[in-house]
Amino acid sequence: MRSYKSYILLIAVMFIAAGSFAQQGEFRLTASYAAAIPVGSFKDNIVSKTSFRGVDVNLLYGVTPKLSVGLTTGYQDFYEKYPRQVYKLSDGSDISAVISNSVQQIPFLATARYDFISSGLLRPYVLAGVGGQLVLNRQFLGEYTNDNTNRFAFAARPEAGIYIPFGKEAHTGINLGAYYNYIPYNKGSIDNMNSIGIKLGIGFPMRD
Amino acid sequence: MKKSWPGIALALLIFTGCAKDPLNNLSSDEARLYITNHNDSASFSSYTSFRVADSVAVIHNNQLQEKARTDFDAQLIEAVAARMQQNGYTPVQTGTTPDIGITISRVYNDYTGVISYPDYWGGYGGYWDPFYWGYPGYGYYFPGIIGTYTVTDGAISIDMFDIKNAKANDKLDFLWNGLIRGSGTFTSANINKNVQALFDQSTYLKRN
Repeated sequence: MRSYKSYILLIAVMFIAAGSFAQQGEFRLTASYAAAIPVGSFKDNIVSKTSFRGVDVNLLYGVTPKLSVGLTTGYQDFYEKYPRQVYKLSDGSDISAVISNSVQQIPFLATARYDFISSGLLRPYVLAGVGGQLVLNRQFLGEYTNDNTNRFAFAARPEAGIYIPFGKEAHTGINLGAYYNYIPYNKGSIDNMNSIGIKLGIGFPMRD
Repeated sequence: MKKSWPGIALALLIFTGCAKDPLNNLSSDEARLYITNHNDSASFSSYTSFRVADSVAVIHNNQLQEKARTDFDAQLIEAVAARMQQNGYTPVQTGTTPDIGITISRVYNDYTGVISYPDYWGGYGGYWDPFYWGYPGYGYYFPGIIGTYTVTDGAISIDMFDIKNAKANDKLDFLWNGLIRGSGTFTSANINKNVQALFDQSTYLKRN
């Protein structure tokens, strides 16, 4: 929960920063609900279930009518409980346990977005983000903590989507996107925490 | 209307941003661990008889407190004996030397922590205003409280020793150990389930 609070604080700072620069261009915020599907060794060895608990936020400053740059943050919570099973340990003992894996990812990405068209009711875009993700990874054997690793990992994200304004003259609209979360993460039997994300949200300018 | 978008975005983050708590999502049965270990060089079919010690050792912080035979202990001893018979071993009475000697222990360990209340509750709305004591406008002064708390974690350990070859080995060699740990370990209703789980995952532990 602590990391979640600091993330809210970051959003608040973004609002203040956006307000003070509003005259020089246009800051736009896109706040979305996000779902994510684990892939690769993340899916095979940690959590195979799709996460429906996530948010994604872009704060972007318009450099030209089509190109904007800024920051991406968000939050995604992955969780899976595996039914009771007997596991063989390296010392020869057998342990029967219900294993729960819990992973939270919080991205901090420098982001660039390119809108192919800047008018009309359907505006496709592509987005690229590079930076890091704070990855909180916990494993429980029954009610006992077996692993608790917090790590800041390199992360990159290509994204494609479409922006649909509420009207021809409207500055606010719906934003629908899909992205690939690339997070190399070497630990035990896994080498990444990659996932495919889908987001649905609202984009609006940061001004009165 | 435009001004409400940031609020809506923030609400979205708060509603979807919380992680699923892995421990709250565990039932008492799922929270328990069953751990077994055995002597690799032992041939369990070479033993024919056993006896379970008629009381249970209570070990607290690595010290033997007492040997007890509560209703719980008696049921536990009975459950282990019944399962040994089911696996083909013959129980022998006190006075006869068995091939396998079985002892059961209840093991408790205390973990101590510190809790601190840095300030008085006076800051809470609805707490007794100093007016209550006849001193309106006064403030409370309070240096803060530091308290300690102790959590006891318990386990049941079932140990089997090689009595048959004690003379040849010049010691009571370890044959098998089963450990029950976690929520519901000391609940009478779980005794049979817990003992069955330990034996079920030790398929080698039988006469034939």
